[in-house]
Amino acid sequence: MTAHPVWMVARREIKTRMLTKANIISMAVMLLVIVVGAVVLNFFIDQEDEAPTSAIALGQETTALSPHLESAAAQQGVELTLSTIADDDAAAALEAEGEDALDAFVSGDPASPDMLVAEQPDSNALGLVDSAVRSYVITEHIGQLGGDPAAFAEAMAAAAPQVASLETPGEGMEGPAYGISMIAITLLLIALISSGSMIAMGVVEEKTSRVVEILLATIKPAQLLAGKILGVGVYGLFQLAVLGGALVAALTALGLTEDIEVDVGGTLVLLIVWFLLGYAIFALLFGGFAALVSRQEEIGSVTTPLMFLLLTPFYATMFIVPNDPDGATVRVLSQIPIFSPFMMPVRNAFGGVTGLEMALAMGIALATIPMLVWVAGRVYQRGVLHTGGRMKLSTALKG
Amino acid sequence: MSVLEIDHLNKSYGTLRALKDLTFDVHGGEIFGFVGSNGAGKTTAMRIMLGVLAADSGKVRWDGAELDLEARRTVGYMPEERGLYPKMKVGEQLHFLAGLHGMSPGEAHEAVERWTDRLGVGPRRGDHVQKLSLGNQQRVQLAAALVHNPKVLVLDEPFSGLDPVAVDVMSGVLRERADAGVPVIFSSHQLDLVERLCDRVGIIQSGQIKALGTIDELRTTDAQLWVLDVDADHAAVTEAIGSLPGVTVSANADNARAVTVLAEPSAPPGVDQQVLRRALELGAVREFSPVRPHLVDLFRGVVSADTEAHEAKEVAR
Repeated sequence: MTAHPVWMVARREIKTRMLTKANIISMAVMLLVIVVGAVVLNFFIDQEDEAPTSAIALGQETTALSPHLESAAAQQGVELTLSTIADDDAAAALEAEGEDALDAFVSGDPASPDMLVAEQPDSNALGLVDSAVRSYVITEHIGQLGGDPAAFAEAMAAAAPQVASLETPGEGMEGPAYGISMIAITLLLIALISSGSMIAMGVVEEKTSRVVEILLATIKPAQLLAGKILGVGVYGLFQLAVLGGALVAALTALGLTEDIEVDVGGTLVLLIVWFLLGYAIFALLFGGFAALVSRQEEIGSVTTPLMFLLLTPFYATMFIVPNDPDGATVRVLSQIPIFSPFMMPVRNAFGGVTGLEMALAMGIALATIPMLVWVAGRVYQRGVLHTGGRMKLSTALKG
Repeated sequence: MSVLEIDHLNKSYGTLRALKDLTFDVHGGEIFGFVGSNGAGKTTAMRIMLGVLAADSGKVRWDGAELDLEARRTVGYMPEERGLYPKMKVGEQLHFLAGLHGMSPGEAHEAVERWTDRLGVGPRRGDHVQKLSLGNQQRVQLAAALVHNPKVLVLDEPFSGLDPVAVDVMSGVLRERADAGVPVIFSSHQLDLVERLCDRVGIIQSGQIKALGTIDELRTTDAQLWVLDVDADHAAVTEAIGSLPGVTVSANADNARAVTVLAEPSAPPGVDQQVLRRALELGAVREFSPVRPHLVDLFRGVVSADTEAHEAKEVAR
């Protein structure tokens, strides 16, 4: 029993693309960039993560500041080491190096103390002493005026406006589903542009090298095209999986994904289904059209219109759908196979699509694929033996 | 015995009729030479046999059944325009093609080694095709046609661009395949090669078979032909011998001193003796020998007859 020709063609595509020196090197470089980037990022994040420390010593007459310093340190997130030393020891302690180094020595009247530092005042120490002195002065004055400093502190903490809005915000633009569906269609666009041109170049390469005549003597043009699309698709997914996986792994290792919650339910499955449908439709168009030309330099003349065909639904989705996710225009457009892979996932994120609409759009897209296979296969069969200038589409389709 | 039948194929490209009721067959164990001038329809016919092109009408049959995709997988094909993946290794490429023709990986591996060694490109199995010389690429191309142990061989110009050693190897391989019962059909412009190698020949002109048969059959004509070399003036010879009934004299292409004498089938029996007697009367006869036309002559005859007919038609218009 031998493998199916479509799979054999696909395997050749994967093998020849995956095992080239250029591919292995570029993949390795990209992986290296991700790993190095993660390590470098990790280094900076670690630095930020470490709480700033401050070592402050108080003179005997200034110890009244210590509760205020401690609460200020707690507020500002500074790890404070507090000590009390004699004035005479201050100079030596400030000039000491290493773990025991003192940032500042505060002495004198707690309401306006003297702050002695080695050279420049440490910003953390200065901030702490500053707040502590203010808080000390306020407390003292409230006490003198007969008030309760604790009640005052409580009242200050509660002093913030309570915001209320008339309309409850919808899930809409801000919902994570919207963001993820936009990311998904952007990925679809990028995947289609890169794999579309890969398919087009592969088709023309077979035409230019004339190997296609031997292939067509053995297998059907539709099989050859399907194998090519499958192979390039698998190769593209592999790239996406390796690089995307490395990126996710790196981010997870850094603990950056904790805040992102993805609903790994129906939404994700739907995204994948539409991704595959969109890939199949556009890949067939790219493959079929590419067969019309004979040289690599002419590829642009067939891929440019296809790029427009790709960007139209992408921008239409980006600009029309968020404004009016359930309007008549969007409803109609999202049933058209070229638009549906882009529009449906985004519409679904807004929650306005009925199951029937979704099923209909999928049905139409699915029904389009065999039709496109037939048309692309036909254009392909006629186009591949045509050499010279660009072949007209009508000539390729005719009788 | 297996037969490849080409039955009333028609194909037009716009207003140009490339094939007109093209009909012939090739038997198993036979090497069939497909000969014709450029644009006569050889490549079109071969492409239709392989299903690469669709005929307007007509059928290609193999053992009585239509040659469909499944049956075509057992055909070895060498297209006129050579084609292999330039950036693929020779071995991998042949392995891939063998797989497409339905071979298992194990069989394919063995066949690739055998054929690359046989065709002298064994050491190049690990090289990309584009690194090979044109002649070696041609050998790989032939290996691609043979690797799956085909039951029918269709080769378009397999000898063009080969050095004499490769031509010998190729001839040997074709003969060996034919002896194994495979019908082999190939087109070529190297008529001496066709004459030496082929069991039967078809001459195609303007999409039609103009002459078909074994080399012997084709060379045997009802008219008799001699080369005559006499120590006498050409004009005198032409006058003396050309006056015999049904006999014409023309200049000989190979020997300036000699003439070619042609006796129509209507000439009386014993006309050769009459020609010789008259020649002796003119002078010493150096050479008088019967000639059988070579394939080249037959081919020229077919082509020129067609051209004349064509010109006549043009004039009539």
